[in-house]
Amino acid sequence: MKHVFYLDGQEIPFVPGQNVLEATIAAGQDRQIPYFCFHPALGSLGACRQCAVKMYSHDSKHPPRITMACLLPASDDLQLVTLENDVHTEHREIIELLMTNHPLDCPVCDEGGQCHLQDMTVQTGHSVRHYGGPKRTYRNQNLGPLVYQEMNRCITCYRCVRFYQDAALGEDFGVFGSRNRVSFGRLEDGPLESPFSGNLVEVCPTGVFTDKVFRHDYVRVWDLQQGPSVCPHCAVGCNTTPGARLGTLRRIRNRQHPEINGHFLCDRGRYAFPYVTAHSRPLQPRLKGETSRQEAVLRQLASRLEEGRSGFLGSPREDLQSNLGLFALADCLHAPFAAVTSSWAEALAQQCLALPQAPSLQEVAAADRIVVIGDLDSIAPMAGFAVRQALGRGARLTVLASSRTGLARKGDYRPLRPSALRDQVAQLADDPCLQGGRVPVLLATAETLGPSGLYALRKTLEKLPANARAGAFVNRPNLFGAAYFAADGHTERLQQALRQREINHLLCLGADPLGEDWGAGAWRTLSSGLEGFALLDMVDSATARAAEALLPVAAFPERAGLFVNYEGRIQAFAPVYQREAQVLHSAVHGSGFPDAAGGMKHPLGPPSPLFWLGRLAELLHVHEAWQKRLDFYLHFLCPAAPDPDSPGVLLPDTIRARFEIATLPLPPTVGPEQWELDIFRWYGGETLADTAEDLQSLAPLRGLRVHPDVQAASATLQGPCGQLHLPVIPCEDMVQGVIAIDQEGFAELGLYPGDPVEVTWEQEP
Amino acid sequence: MRMWRNFVDLGAGLWTTLRQLGRISTVSYPEAPLNLPPRWRGRPTLTRDPDGDERCVACQLCSAVCPTRCIELQAGERADTRRYPLTFRINFSRCIYCGLCEEACPTLAIQLLDEFAFSKQHHADFIYEKDALLIDGTGKHPHYNFYRHSGVALGDKNKGEGINEKPPVNVRSNLP
Ligand code: SF4
Ligand code: SF4
Ligand code: SF4
Ligand code: SF4
Ligand code: FES
Repeated sequence: MKHVFYLDGQEIPFVPGQNVLEATIAAGQDRQIPYFCFHPALGSLGACRQCAVKMYSHDSKHPPRITMACLLPASDDLQLVTLENDVHTEHREIIELLMTNHPLDCPVCDEGGQCHLQDMTVQTGHSVRHYGGPKRTYRNQNLGPLVYQEMNRCITCYRCVRFYQDAALGEDFGVFGSRNRVSFGRLEDGPLESPFSGNLVEVCPTGVFTDKVFRHDYVRVWDLQQGPSVCPHCAVGCNTTPGARLGTLRRIRNRQHPEINGHFLCDRGRYAFPYVTAHSRPLQPRLKGETSRQEAVLRQLASRLEEGRSGFLGSPREDLQSNLGLFALADCLHAPFAAVTSSWAEALAQQCLALPQAPSLQEVAAADRIVVIGDLDSIAPMAGFAVRQALGRGARLTVLASSRTGLARKGDYRPLRPSALRDQVAQLADDPCLQGGRVPVLLATAETLGPSGLYALRKTLEKLPANARAGAFVNRPNLFGAAYFAADGHTERLQQALRQREINHLLCLGADPLGEDWGAGAWRTLSSGLEGFALLDMVDSATARAAEALLPVAAFPERAGLFVNYEGRIQAFAPVYQREAQVLHSAVHGSGFPDAAGGMKHPLGPPSPLFWLGRLAELLHVHEAWQKRLDFYLHFLCPAAPDPDSPGVLLPDTIRARFEIATLPLPPTVGPEQWELDIFRWYGGETLADTAEDLQSLAPLRGLRVHPDVQAASATLQGPCGQLHLPVIPCEDMVQGVIAIDQEGFAELGLYPGDPVEVTWEQEP
Repeated sequence: MRMWRNFVDLGAGLWTTLRQLGRISTVSYPEAPLNLPPRWRGRPTLTRDPDGDERCVACQLCSAVCPTRCIELQAGERADTRRYPLTFRINFSRCIYCGLCEEACPTLAIQLLDEFAFSKQHHADFIYEKDALLIDGTGKHPHYNFYRHSGVALGDKNKGEGINEKPPVNVRSNLP
């Protein structure tokens, strides 16, 4: 049955349980009810008294009365009115009260043009302040490099605290003071600690909290080019709206996806975008380290490929089409191809894909028994956010990890060595922590759990009730897309070919086999057999610096593509802007006719990987076959490619089924006396994000984290591919016998999380 | 009667013409300068506040309101956090002197002064950059300084030191 109520005589549909304001906003009729404290994700509070409506009772016994729409449950045939004078007077007077102390700041306020307060003030028609007395002022706080505070502009709607404390379960932000002196911030100046702090910018309806990174390169929203995109920084695949102007990317905002990120983004997703403008980003083709003409590089590369002794290496960091394009080219040339850099990562990818359909983040938030394995916040922060939402609804959380992570503090924490994780996961089916719930959900960070742990997770899931779900996360946007090629030991074959000198050249796409990718240690040894390799990438990496031919590619907001997220959801992103030369001074750039003058643009941006691969296929005279294969694979994987604006399509189960045969990978054996390795990450760390300066100023120190019972200043770790000397960072939260290092460290040693390691402790740093 | 009226009208017209005999009413513009009224709308310029700092805060209202979209600017941030236009350009081959930018400008920075007719060899020369737009005076408004009225702290002006402001509140106080 369709439920409706009437607002000014117009039918507004609603779902039982919604309040009047919520339904009105959902119906797109919110121009008639101004509001502040209500937020679709944070609910009603009734604090601002702005959303008045007049309610007529069904009978004629009660007189009509004015009430708050956000606190009025929608019910059938309710008669509501806003177009009467007393309602309008209420709207105007409330906003005048809220504006009594408001500063004259709009011209220098970054919220201007996207300000909810501006919109509502104009909408209600309040234009002249009757109060002429002096205005209240506040001192601002320095809240770190990401969020800027200008406290004078506050209208005390409490959205910020409700987000920070109630939704994100952050502890270092709150409300201070009393009566009309309340202030919102930290106890002391200092960076906000929550991985979701950037959402304050969007949640606050005024200019109290604005984007500090955007502030440095500011432009009004009406001049921004915006479009639908997908966050490339982890497997969650949150939907984003990048904004650009004059060919440079300025900011990232949330784009609502009800099943994934809702109204929010993590700070990595919001603040990692400066990788696009980083000075180190390669923009010109390079040949042997020298900038070169694109044709020259292409020809050189084509002649290499013609020799027929090339291997191809894709990447889970690149989008689906680019990987398929590379695969198709390898196929045309009958060359070996791999999508990931090590057999371990390949097994990991297979095991991830073999898991049954993962829950969407919306489903995670609705779960009532949750088990988190590893440090979820540092890999896929928004998944951690969904867990927090579930906690807010009373879910029971158990965290299995080798250190007391942020989430572990919010639930039951079981300190475990990585090698014990696997056994613990295998026994979860009978564990009390999952008993008694209706919707159990298990969330794992794939790398910590490892291929054998993921296998155990799949087996556990089979023993749990049918509605139990599990998801595995990595900090790559497209591991699931790249995993298709991971089925048959491709990486091993590629490395074998290299070892046996069948190939002596490598074409890599978005991979960093000589830097920090998994298995980099082995690649470094193997690279001596290479007579040169080529790379298509958008960041500067160890591999890019060593590459013989480097072809720069467009960053994700600069091109179209598809990512497959952790659920197997294929999502499309659209090109949002074209990188172009910014004409800073027309007199200097003689011909520069600025954009406003209807002038020329100067496209500067590197093309997409598909363009390069297509050109290579042309030069090798296989273009037709290449195109045919590419279309075929693409059609096979996603028969109906989604639009950038659609919620995406899930991979068909038939494709997943191919991976279910994946067998138990051999787990590493660790003695009880041995030191074990675990991976240390932080929420802002990821290959692309690592070049974003403002975000990285918050990065924790590099080092080796151990429990403080070890008395040493530094340590040397010994692995099959090399050794690593790092300072020791004593860390209360670590489990004894476990050493946590970053991915670069693993790459250097040639080891994987959960492996035993030999350590020499040293007293000198 | 009617005929008599016609003669009077004719005579009046002739008298008007004869009255002008001996007077010179042709202005030999451009040799002779024009005496323009004070509210004349010529080309826009950027003015400075009474303290000599540039007034523009790069709020982009002028470029948003401009009907011919001939204003383009990019905001920059000074070390003291003051927003200013890093680049500011107006394409005078499109500007129609409508004055909407002046009306929109909240800081009274952009003002239409009296220059209105100028010619160039090339279109590109009509694009005036900030150095050509920024003048050294306050223009028509000698006293206004936006930052004295706005709530933000800047340079030597701290919170609560602006016009009509109370000193900053003590947020640690719980007194009623
Ligand atoms: S918060 Fe909104 S109304 Fe207030 S100064 Fe900023 S833009 Fe203007
Ligand atoms: S700081 Fe913003 S979100 Fe918080 S109470 Fe003030 S206006 Fe509302
Ligand atoms: S959770 Fe992952 S996908 Fe979502 S915004 Fe953060 S980094 Fe991006
Ligand atoms: S409206 Fe005034 S202050 Fe704003 S950008 Fe234009 S000239 Fe500058
Ligand atoms: S939105 Fe209803 S009282 Fe604030």
